[in-house]
Amino acid sequence: MKSFILTIVSFLLILVTLNAGYYPTWFKSKPVQYWTDLMKEMNDTLDPSGIMKSRYGISYVISMRVKEVIERKNIPNVVILFEPNSYYRDSLHIYPNVHAPEPAVFYYYTGLEGVWTNSPDVGKANYLVKVTKKGVTLDAIKNPEQLRQILAFYRKFTPIL
Amino acid sequence: MLLVPYLLLLLNYLVSGYGVLTLFRLRLKTAYMITLSVLLGVAVASVVPFLLQLLFIPLTPVSVFGGLILTALALNIPGIRRMRKEGRTAFRRSFAAPPFRILPYEIPFIVIFVFFAAVSIWRCYYLPPTSRDALSGPEAIAEFAVREHTMINSFFGIDLSTTNNQFKSPFLISLQVICKMAGFPFGQIWLSAVFVSFMVFLYHALKEKLHPIIAGLLLLLFLMTPEVYAYTFMILYDYSNMVFFFLSLWFLFGYFRNKTSSWFYFSGLLMGIATYIRSETLVLALLFLPPILLAQARERMTVKKIALADLYFFLPSLLGYLLPGPFYIGHYLPVHYDVSGLVNNNLTNWDPLFQRYSDILSHLIASTFGVRLWGYIYYFAAFFLVAGMFFPGRFNRDARNWLYAMLVLYLGLGALGFFLPLIDLNDTTKRELFKMLPLLLLYLANNAALIRLSQWISRWEGSPIVIGKRLAVAQPSVPAKKPLAPANPTGNKPGPRSSKKRRKK
Repeated sequence: MKSFILTIVSFLLILVTLNAGYYPTWFKSKPVQYWTDLMKEMNDTLDPSGIMKSRYGISYVISMRVKEVIERKNIPNVVILFEPNSYYRDSLHIYPNVHAPEPAVFYYYTGLEGVWTNSPDVGKANYLVKVTKKGVTLDAIKNPEQLRQILAFYRKFTPIL
Repeated sequence: MLLVPYLLLLLNYLVSGYGVLTLFRLRLKTAYMITLSVLLGVAVASVVPFLLQLLFIPLTPVSVFGGLILTALALNIPGIRRMRKEGRTAFRRSFAAPPFRILPYEIPFIVIFVFFAAVSIWRCYYLPPTSRDALSGPEAIAEFAVREHTMINSFFGIDLSTTNNQFKSPFLISLQVICKMAGFPFGQIWLSAVFVSFMVFLYHALKEKLHPIIAGLLLLLFLMTPEVYAYTFMILYDYSNMVFFFLSLWFLFGYFRNKTSSWFYFSGLLMGIATYIRSETLVLALLFLPPILLAQARERMTVKKIALADLYFFLPSLLGYLLPGPFYIGHYLPVHYDVSGLVNNNLTNWDPLFQRYSDILSHLIASTFGVRLWGYIYYFAAFFLVAGMFFPGRFNRDARNWLYAMLVLYLGLGALGFFLPLIDLNDTTKRELFKMLPLLLLYLANNAALIRLSQWISRWEGSPIVIGKRLAVAQPSVPAKKPLAPANPTGNKPGPRSSKKRRKK
């Protein structure tokens, strides 16, 4: 009997904890939501790439589109220049929903070399990923003069993560 | 489909870790032996690909898994020899096994622990790593190490000006390489082994001193720290660092009680692993020198013996710092890390130091933000710290030790933030504070008020038993006029001396 009472006490302690202060908000939005996700995920048929797309979002999708285009056109020695995230934030107002990956993360996603406008190797950039409100384009940078103009345009936008 | 590789990995962890435990001739109860074996096995596995790299051996599945198997066998040679001499009893004797028994009132807690564990394990398995610190460093290095068979790979040829994560410990890289080679596209699953083993260990450690209901509640509060729980499925260094730092102190304080030298050296090894995971742990390790010296002085050890023992204690930490740090970064990596530029040059101005101490308390702990990070565990502990003062044995030796550890951590983290401004408050210091929580729990396990409450419940219950033996109620080890309870009446076996002390109530 005492053991039964202690079992009830255990239940009550758990219930009180789960409903105290901030805990219920967190518990519902995280572990319980994760459990709901788990139930869905167990039945889905996504491959690792599909899981990465859904997990990493638009930044990964853009990166993989860039990779697809580069591979399709079979372009060697590609160095991709990304616009500064502060440009997306201050000018396009689409940050952080849309943001450029930092070069290390872009390399992890795609195996391609990327640079930011303040990178030491920015002079090697030969393609620009340009994001507008209409979409994303991959523009070739044909000569150093064009690169200088691009960098001048983004000069007032400091790259941020 | 990936269950078999995972079970094989677990088996490897178990065998390697068990080998390490037998090297130290540690004899603990089964729950500790198994969980420690897995945890140590993960630590051993995290060293193998790194050592292969240091020897310029290509990281292929054959070399990596061959290395893991050979290491597991090599670590068990002394145990196998003993078994050949003494028969299977040598193996059986290594477990001080009380009969396994779960009490009915533990079940609700176990159910919710299983729920938390299941969610965490699934997310480790199914989702890719997401933290920027992993993606812009160790995870990317591991990914390309699998493809290019070396940790010094094409990742170092790109623009890394936005990150310093490439200089972090090979601990994460090695474990990711192993899991990816085993067929897990996102690696990570090793973290579940660490998480579950640590939970089981912690639960048993708490039950040594407290009634299972209170132990369960404390573990629930620990599991429900939002920030720490997130790191049970988000690979980084801090969760594992917390685990090994805590274990090191658990054995160190055990050594203070039982004076068994193997516990002391084993504690040193665990601190070395914690340092290998996060190099700044070395500073925290050194801050435990005063209580170590005090304990050794009480033992009336000669200066020569003390010097030698302490050298052995700190040697793993020094290796854990030097090998992945100055040696690997300085002599192997194609890019170098200039730490001198990151050190605070204005050390005469102490305002930032006091500001950091204040910020840790006011911003990271006692604030709305703090509640979102840690839940109410700090408030719970503060309440019982005050409540405990009204009971005899309020600052028993174990409670003092854990309070000292918490103080050292607080002071050490503030000082680290002062000397290295790179250790910022909201990211690094916040994650370093993970280490505080298990210390807090073990303080609570030695809190006089909670011990009294445990005793009260067990007396009322009438049949105080835990895991097949007597109920966990422990006495603060202070010379009290009215003994509260046996020092370790649980039947659990944390160490040789405490087991000798066991007596009937």
